[in-house]
Amino acid sequence: MAHQAHAYHMVDPSPWPLTGAVAALLMTSGLAIWMHFHNMTLMSLGLILLLLTMYQWWRDIIREGTFQGHHTPPVQKGLRYGMILFITSEVFFFLGFFWAFYHSSLAPTPELGGCWPPIGITTLNPFEVPLLNTAVLLASGVTVTWAHHSIMEGQRKQAIQSLTLTILLGFYFTALQAMEYYEAPFTIADGVYGSTFFVATGFHGLHVIIGSTFLAVCLLRQAQYHFTSDHHFGFEAAAWYWHFVDVVWLFLYISIYWWGS
Amino acid sequence: MAARLLLRTCPLRVLQLRGGTAARPLQRAMASAGGIPTDEEQATGLERRTLQALKQGKDPYSILKPKQYTGTKTDPHIVPSIGNKRLVGCLCEEDNTAIVWFWLHEGEPQRCPECGSHYKLVHHELPH
Repeated sequence: MAHQAHAYHMVDPSPWPLTGAVAALLMTSGLAIWMHFHNMTLMSLGLILLLLTMYQWWRDIIREGTFQGHHTPPVQKGLRYGMILFITSEVFFFLGFFWAFYHSSLAPTPELGGCWPPIGITTLNPFEVPLLNTAVLLASGVTVTWAHHSIMEGQRKQAIQSLTLTILLGFYFTALQAMEYYEAPFTIADGVYGSTFFVATGFHGLHVIIGSTFLAVCLLRQAQYHFTSDHHFGFEAAAWYWHFVDVVWLFLYISIYWWGS
Repeated sequence: MAARLLLRTCPLRVLQLRGGTAARPLQRAMASAGGIPTDEEQATGLERRTLQALKQGKDPYSILKPKQYTGTKTDPHIVPSIGNKRLVGCLCEEDNTAIVWFWLHEGEPQRCPECGSHYKLVHHELPH
């Protein structure tokens, strides 16, 4: 029985930070090996180790919080700060790509024809699939809020339904975007337009997949009664992340798809 | 493994919920009829102990800001402790950058060596 006089969580020793660091090392050096020697072994090993680390570390956090009760109110507050700081760092990450886009598009060089979009680029119509994608993500923002209120009000069935709908909308966005990528009349190699378009929307798509995965884990946990009506921070973190993904898309849509077309 | 979990928990429940029938009775009796447990029903470990104590107006794990006392002889600062002595840091005046540290022992109230505020150690037990 723990006899601490404070409400904080002094975590037990864990191997996952070390395996995570080793995974980072293998992935980065593996990336260099792949680029120079066409061998994917080291990078794949790093990726597998990363996935194992994430699975086991977060599983342990769930065990510590939900099953052992270590996540007291002060501990939860710390987790909230952590998630907010992480999302803030991701905002800065995307800010960089928006900076790159505006740098190239506000003062297009002679090589591009002195105009934006550059000569030879047929842009996507912002009022076709991109507009549908916008509606899909906005709707998913509504459904995730519906899920949150369902949890707070103790409504299990509605919580599961609305969370499932949110995830399905996320998959729909990903599928639509994948189709757009396949059908697009330009590629990443098509000058700075292609670079800025695919890197910015590509990282966004990756974040949609990450966010959908996070929500899916929450759905599994909700189905297994992990969340209570007052304490469901894992879900709140996933919802915050999902809203962040939605906001990034809105900026992408306005800047690259609409203004940039 | 995650796929097995999903198959195990979702389809049967979804079918039950869609059908509106309970193919088998709810495994847990929920005070909250909606089906999501409350902290009262499900919180465990240290989280449960802190929540139960706060409900009774107690704060054994020092989560809340300490109560304000004037620090006079008749209204000394009450310092809870699980042992028979505790370190006290006196911020004699607001905005002071030098904290006055001293051990507070059980028994007679002691005074801060700098500003003279009174402090009294009060024993308390941790909930088990």
